[in-house]
Amino acid sequence: MSETNDVIDRELTMSRAMVESIAHEMRDNEEVFYMGEDVADYGGIFDSTQGLLDEFGRDRIMDVPISETAYLGAAVGAAQEGMRPIAELMFVDFFGVAMDQIYNQLAKNTYMSGGNVNVPLVLTAAVGGTYNDAAQHSQTLYGTFAHVPGLKLVVPSTAYDAKGLMHNAIRDDDPVMYLFHKRLMGIGWMPAPDGPKTPVPETDYTIPFGSADIKREGADVSVVTLGLHVHRALAAAESLAAEGIDVEVIDLRTLVPLDTETIVESVRKTGRLVVVDEDYRSFGVTGEIVASVADRDLGALDAVERVAVPDVPIPYARPMEDEVIPDAADIEESVREVVSSK
Amino acid sequence: MVSPDRIREMYGDMLTARHYEERLQEEYLEGKQPAFDISAGPIPGELHLAAGQEAAAVGVCHHLRPEDTVTAPHRPHHVAIAKGVDLKRMTAEIFGRESGLGKGKGGHMHLFDPDVNFACSGIIAEGCPPAAGAALAAKKRNEDSVAVAFLGEGAIDQGAFLESLNFASVHNLPVVFVIEDNDWAISMPKERVTDVEDGSDRAAGFDMPGVRVDQDDAVAVYEAAAEAIGRARDRNGPTLLEVQVHRRMGHFMGDPQTYRSDDDEEAALARDSIDRIESELRDHGVDDDDLASMRDDAETRVEEAIAWAKEQPQPDPEDAYDDVFVNPPSGVTTEEPEFELAEVNADE
Amino acid sequence: MRVAVRATGDWEADVDETEGILVDWFAREGRSIEEGDTLCEIQVEKVSVDIQAPVAGTLDEIVVGEDDEFEIGDTLGWIRSE
Ligand SMILES: Cc1ncc(C[n+]2csc(CCOP(=O)(O)OP(=O)(O)O)c2C)c(N)n1
Ligand SMILES: [Mg+2]
Repeated sequence: MSETNDVIDRELTMSRAMVESIAHEMRDNEEVFYMGEDVADYGGIFDSTQGLLDEFGRDRIMDVPISETAYLGAAVGAAQEGMRPIAELMFVDFFGVAMDQIYNQLAKNTYMSGGNVNVPLVLTAAVGGTYNDAAQHSQTLYGTFAHVPGLKLVVPSTAYDAKGLMHNAIRDDDPVMYLFHKRLMGIGWMPAPDGPKTPVPETDYTIPFGSADIKREGADVSVVTLGLHVHRALAAAESLAAEGIDVEVIDLRTLVPLDTETIVESVRKTGRLVVVDEDYRSFGVTGEIVASVADRDLGALDAVERVAVPDVPIPYARPMEDEVIPDAADIEESVREVVSSK
Repeated sequence: MVSPDRIREMYGDMLTARHYEERLQEEYLEGKQPAFDISAGPIPGELHLAAGQEAAAVGVCHHLRPEDTVTAPHRPHHVAIAKGVDLKRMTAEIFGRESGLGKGKGGHMHLFDPDVNFACSGIIAEGCPPAAGAALAAKKRNEDSVAVAFLGEGAIDQGAFLESLNFASVHNLPVVFVIEDNDWAISMPKERVTDVEDGSDRAAGFDMPGVRVDQDDAVAVYEAAAEAIGRARDRNGPTLLEVQVHRRMGHFMGDPQTYRSDDDEEAALARDSIDRIESELRDHGVDDDDLASMRDDAETRVEEAIAWAKEQPQPDPEDAYDDVFVNPPSGVTTEEPEFELAEVNADE
Repeated sequence: MRVAVRATGDWEADVDETEGILVDWFAREGRSIEEGDTLCEIQVEKVSVDIQAPVAGTLDEIVVGEDDEFEIGDTLGWIRSE
């Protein structure tokens, strides 16, 4: 596709952008390979590896037994040998069966070795709800993985970000968890909202970790969020604009490292903070971000709201799932709340 | 020799389970054509149907009593039907309705019917440890109930399964592990993920009997299960039982199955365990009218369950907040009782 | 010259349905296209298929929009070739 005057003609879905960066890195570096369930012939249940088997063959696009402890742990071991494996958990919810390899090996080996060992592994996983897959297949678990020291944590919200963040993840010398939201991938059978499909350059490029992106500038309220809820926040901002409320939407893009600077700067401007998360409310992302801002500049905070999954597992039936996963209306309500309170 | 009455009963459940899956498929696809949008139509979420796997479920479960425990995986309906789970409330759960087994909270992969001690889980092989636990409880209480864990052939590479075999073996637990070998784990054929052709061979490593029923044949399964369940009831320890079944549909509804050859699919369709048990019944002198009326009965049961389920109300959004605990924070005693504590530091 | 982008291909052998849905366009009207570029993704019976540009040029017109249905063989859009 031709690029004239820096205009990128071509638009990609998030899954295609991810796959493009993986393919690019695999062409460049023999040591990159991908392991997971149904990643070869199926191309990933959520299209995360579409087409890669054809180009790279079974040695490098490896279907594995349903033995997450074995293959995630094997990826840790191969990474410690200096290879650059990408290992996929089909749903992040399945982390439990391999928790030790993630929490006690992958995350900690660098530290316990005094920095003498490093683990350049990318762990990809599908996250999120909104399609009634119930309590064991709908979580995001952002907070669970951001909590343990030693894991970098990436959550893209657009195709452009997905590609640049994936390049960075594969080149990073530390473990990176790369959590992609199913609803954003652009899968035919799970239509994405408008927004994640963006123009994407064909060349490789990296987006540094710890650089939040202001997806919409605004003067009145800072909405800080990630993943699917970037788009829900943008939708909320659109309708609030009609009421004369000017919302800034910050897409964190990575939770570890966390770009506190960008958040604090925004709050200094607006004085009002709304944090929106698709993870459980307690002991998680929303509390962490509010606390980080308070730590840095308590005086800048005039009003705060948290919008997250009230502490219940994700229910199956539609009316209940819709109730607990924050939508644009919930965000609007909280924004109005902070505006009226201060 | 399996009695003709028993074969009839198994046949009835197989017909029910098959018709159930076919009808759920229709209901599920409603509103999903030509565009397959997982969020459209009357049945929420993913749907894993078990058409072609009925023989394993009935052959085993027809030895069980309500107090015996069964755990099933993400493909649970045929096992639930064979175990006697309330069909109406199960269907209501699958449709996400308030009167469902889990009030619409669990869904089709997470069905719980404590009246017949049935449960299932969407995480691969995770039903195995709780089944061993139910067996442990029976053993401790000196009851003669048993437990059965169903799982797919793809699930037997999971730690939870292998650890449970060892645990059950060393504690001599009254539990039977049943592998339903349908040759596929989503898109991955068995030979790509293991070099051990027969899952039942793994029993040897845990010093327990491993039995494989090579035919998708309910009567043969029933006979093999008699031995395994009997062994458990007599407190002679666990058994690993494997049954060859067939996946007549995709892994989940909407699976394009582009990874599967037409030959494989046609072969699965050709080996129908329902035809097989039907001819067995004919050998016992059951005539066409009789078979037809059994088919009618099964269909009626299914249609009634689906019709009933669809009449049930949707849950209220606020119901989402209930049932996280049986003893929710508001129900907890908030005041600390007062005690006279001994003065431990009296000397000071 | 305008060249049609049509919903046809080898994949037709794998499907029974005659209707499909257009899932995604990867270019907008007026943008330039190389021959062979993946122009759009369609879904027929949940089988996803990429449709490639038959010629180079500019995407002149999108006939079947995203989420719209079509019959196999229909014209999905037009390319104006150089
Ligand atoms: C721990 C875990 N890993 C992966 C999955 C995703 N998954 C669901 S079903 C399935 C295949 C299971 O194959 P098998 O055990 O043979 O059962 P079948 O689907 O054939 O009935 C997989 C990988 C899961 N649910 N849990
Ligand atoms: Mg299987």
